[in-house]
Amino acid sequence: MIEVSNLTKYVGKKSVISDFSFCAQRQECVGLLGEHGAGKTTLLNLICGITTPTSGHISIEGFNTQAHPVIARQAVGYQPQGGISHHTLSVTGILNFVAAARGLSGAEKRRHVDRVATRLELHPVLNCPVDVLGLGLKRRVAIAQAILHSPSVLLLDEPTEGLNAEQRLKFRVLVQSLSEEMSVIIASRHYDSLSDICTRALVIANGRLMADSSLQDLQRSSRHFQAVTLAADPPLDLLALAVLPGVAGIEEDRQNPGKVTVLAMPGHAVFPAINSLIAHRGWNITSLHIEPGRLNDVVHHLSHEVSP
Amino acid sequence: MRLLPLIFKRQLASYACTPSTYLSVAVFLVLCAALGLHSNQWMEQDSSDLQAFFELHPWLYMLLIPGLSMHLWSDEHSTSFSNMLKTLHITSAERVIGKFLAAWVVCSVALLLNFPLVIAAHYLGTPDDGVIASQFLASWLLAGSYLSVGCFICALTHQRVVIFLLTMGLLLTLSGLFSVMDALEHQAPIWIVDSMMKLDPIARFSSMDNGKITLHDGLYFISMIFAFLSATIVTLNYKNS
Repeated sequence: MIEVSNLTKYVGKKSVISDFSFCAQRQECVGLLGEHGAGKTTLLNLICGITTPTSGHISIEGFNTQAHPVIARQAVGYQPQGGISHHTLSVTGILNFVAAARGLSGAEKRRHVDRVATRLELHPVLNCPVDVLGLGLKRRVAIAQAILHSPSVLLLDEPTEGLNAEQRLKFRVLVQSLSEEMSVIIASRHYDSLSDICTRALVIANGRLMADSSLQDLQRSSRHFQAVTLAADPPLDLLALAVLPGVAGIEEDRQNPGKVTVLAMPGHAVFPAINSLIAHRGWNITSLHIEPGRLNDVVHHLSHEVSP
Repeated sequence: MRLLPLIFKRQLASYACTPSTYLSVAVFLVLCAALGLHSNQWMEQDSSDLQAFFELHPWLYMLLIPGLSMHLWSDEHSTSFSNMLKTLHITSAERVIGKFLAAWVVCSVALLLNFPLVIAAHYLGTPDDGVIASQFLASWLLAGSYLSVGCFICALTHQRVVIFLLTMGLLLTLSGLFSVMDALEHQAPIWIVDSMMKLDPIARFSSMDNGKITLHDGLYFISMIFAFLSATIVTLNYKNS
């Protein structure tokens, strides 16, 4: 469990985090969403004790990070952005070093290292120098060292950047199993990859907390929620779509001619009407999907509320 | 200080798997033996100590110490690794002292590898072992104090060239102090010359090198190590805040 209250951090005279408060329970997976330079990494650095806050409190499992830094840090695992690299150490070297620094030794250390290596499928590369590994593997090494001591709060910084669909699926399974044991906080700019992992979202912009709600609520506040995007071979009759009940507007995709998005009014579902129109007109539809809401738009909108 | 042994072991292993360590030590040993034999008639004289070799050490350390101290903080060039270290709650004091001790051990090994000279001295004549031991001790303390200076400079900047130039520059200044003092002897008031002279590591080293270990010469080196290591710890704490 982690509790952050009125956290503020100044770098020089510039405020990078201001009055940030939130609380995350065990078995909760929280997404920290924000644009580039919003303060996501700074916030994670403050939580894991890399930098100290100017004012405010962070308590992890009831221990204040300022008053009890050792116990509080022992309860946090942190995966730095871009994974871990080191010019001489091998993967086992790093894991053994971290395990020893976390106070593990002997058979217990070996057991813990073996457990995380199995969990993150690192066995084939255990003896490789970390520097020769690809970005995905470096990040897995970083996650492995973060969960080595079974922390109660796990912080992941941009864990899904550059992953392909298959790797993303594996990552999702991993995070789901991890969030059963600890609270997981994922900072990311790739919001859509978090939509099926996180249960809750914090939107941060200019170091301020802009929204704290469930991910579904955030998607629901998008103007694309329940919108229908469809493409057809001969271009569609836009006028017929526009006059359907509950339609708020139509957006044409400039890059793909013939592809349109029909926006729904809040509280209305436009799909049944569009469906019957398609059947009635006999349109040759090549693709059609109902949008869950675009998180990019929502976060962008919220971010620019504070910085016009 | 719980994690001190861990940092020490890690740094020692890091030295052991870096080729530049072996190169620095080898260059130091070869130059020490070659220059000592070349510049001095040690073989011909029935010398009772290794003065001919040890008097070169202050200058030879200027090759060995920058090489070793540049490697001290190279771990922390990668932001991700140094961030990871910070999450492990390793204090600055543990990091500095652990790394310094490891480098000092490497220096000791380099120094102990001069043992063939001791054997040769025993073979050629009857050296005074007490004097040789005090020469080793003086050289070891000198290495420690130079290393603490290098450690401090490396904590200031990450750029290798800057580190190398600063370390060389500072050590040369300290060593050059002696010659500057000689030149100043007739111009400056005598108390300034005297007090400056007391700060010169080479003058201290030469007096210990002759086989007389005095407490205040030993304390001079130890306090220099202590001062520069404290400065390093303060610098690191300032950087992290």
